Amino acid sequence: MPVTPEDISKVIVTIKNYSSYDFSQYSKKSFTRRIEKVLIDYRLDIDKLINSIKNKPEFIEDLVRSITVNTTELFRDPRLWQTIRYRVLSKLASNRKINIWHAGSSTGQEVYSMLILLNEMGLLDQANVFASDINTDVLKKAKIGEYSYRFNLEYFENFDKVIKENPFKLDEFSEVPYEKYFDVNKLNDTIKVKDFIRKKPVWLKHDMVTEGNIFNTKFDLILCRNVLIYFDTDLQNRVINTFYQSLFRNGILLLGVHESIMGAITNNFIKSGLVYQKKK
Amino acid sequence: MSYKYIVIGGSAGSFQIVTGILSALPKTFNLPIFLCLHRLKHIRTGFVEALSIKSKINVVEPCDKEFIRQGKAYLAPANYHMYFDLGNFVSLSTEPAVNHSRPSIDISFASAAFTYKSKLVGILLSGANRDGAMGMKEIKENGGLTIVQDPNDCQVKTMTTAALEATNIDHVLTSDKIIDFIVNLNRTK
Repeated sequence: MPVTPEDISKVIVTIKNYSSYDFSQYSKKSFTRRIEKVLIDYRLDIDKLINSIKNKPEFIEDLVRSITVNTTELFRDPRLWQTIRYRVLSKLASNRKINIWHAGSSTGQEVYSMLILLNEMGLLDQANVFASDINTDVLKKAKIGEYSYRFNLEYFENFDKVIKENPFKLDEFSEVPYEKYFDVNKLNDTIKVKDFIRKKPVWLKHDMVTEGNIFNTKFDLILCRNVLIYFDTDLQNRVINTFYQSLFRNGILLLGVHESIMGAITNNFIKSGLVYQKKK
Repeated sequence: MSYKYIVIGGSAGSFQIVTGILSALPKTFNLPIFLCLHRLKHIRTGFVEALSIKSKINVVEPCDKEFIRQGKAYLAPANYHMYFDLGNFVSLSTEPAVNHSRPSIDISFASAAFTYKSKLVGILLSGANRDGAMGMKEIKENGGLTIVQDPNDCQVKTMTTAALEATNIDHVLTSDKIIDFIVNLNRTK
């Protein structure tokens, strides 16, 4: 069923009035697509949707879960992970502490990829890893750290590229069995992250649109991949400013491989390939 | 005629035709071309380079919110859907696959149809699934021009056949004729 821009404005205003969530600066197109999907999934029309938002506080949480997009994979974009390994973490290795924030951590695969890499580099003990998402469902899944074996099969290739191979020394190959980090149960089609990794991160509910840095610390590295694409340019810049404020001097911000910082705030970072480094 | 945007979808068997199109276009070609092509998931890099080798126009995988310029080809990046927004920029999303595809041709076509209406030419090439058929219908219904590669000329005809079933297609052409058609769009402007 077609949803008009007026319908969408009404939904946004109602959510804002009846909850702490603010979608007014989400990309209109993407928000409209998500609402259209919600209407189909819940078999609602716009009036019923607005009524549910007004009258059922628990429905708002469901709605937020349905609106936000949750995509994450083990070592998604190996090229970026090679950058993290050889250009970012290698330089942080001499730090006494390495503070890392995964903003928009979804079901946790990016966070566990980071922890595996930190462990391979011997940096796990000095790392403080924080992960946050607006969606409490995905946070729960992330904490459990159990995924479909079959679904993740193709990502083991990414694991090989980042963990086993060295792009700078093609004859070098470290034999790292997947079982070092995962309990693999092919019969039940599950892989579960081992406890020494799984218990390490701090998971927090956080809405980067309405909240600033809630962690009482600054960071050496912030990852926020494929989240800003759902925001309009103003909101993108505001959130990037939050990250800027939350980074230590020379701290690193990493976005999705097809995202970039635009506008005046560009001047606060030095960009080199996929890496944004805080100036000063 | 005042077509200002070209969107091309293709899957199995379309790579050669797309390189054929790109190599036939003159350096002065002045329309933007959007390419939504299925590819193997694990081949994330190298595709844009492969397309660029013979192309005289610039081929890029755009960033989110990248401004659209004339005479440039925009390839939907692996593992993202590609949309077109009012204000003349591309936006990307990582929403779930559609027709088992991300990028999905239906999504790019429908978005281009909605944004560019009768200024759009949609071209669907060889492919092995039904992605693109609904998108062609959207282009047609929004007043755009629809072209499919002649199924008999396709390496795999599933995709173009599905589009011909889904809507009234304006032109069914061989790949050579499609190349001629696009080159001529430049001259008639």
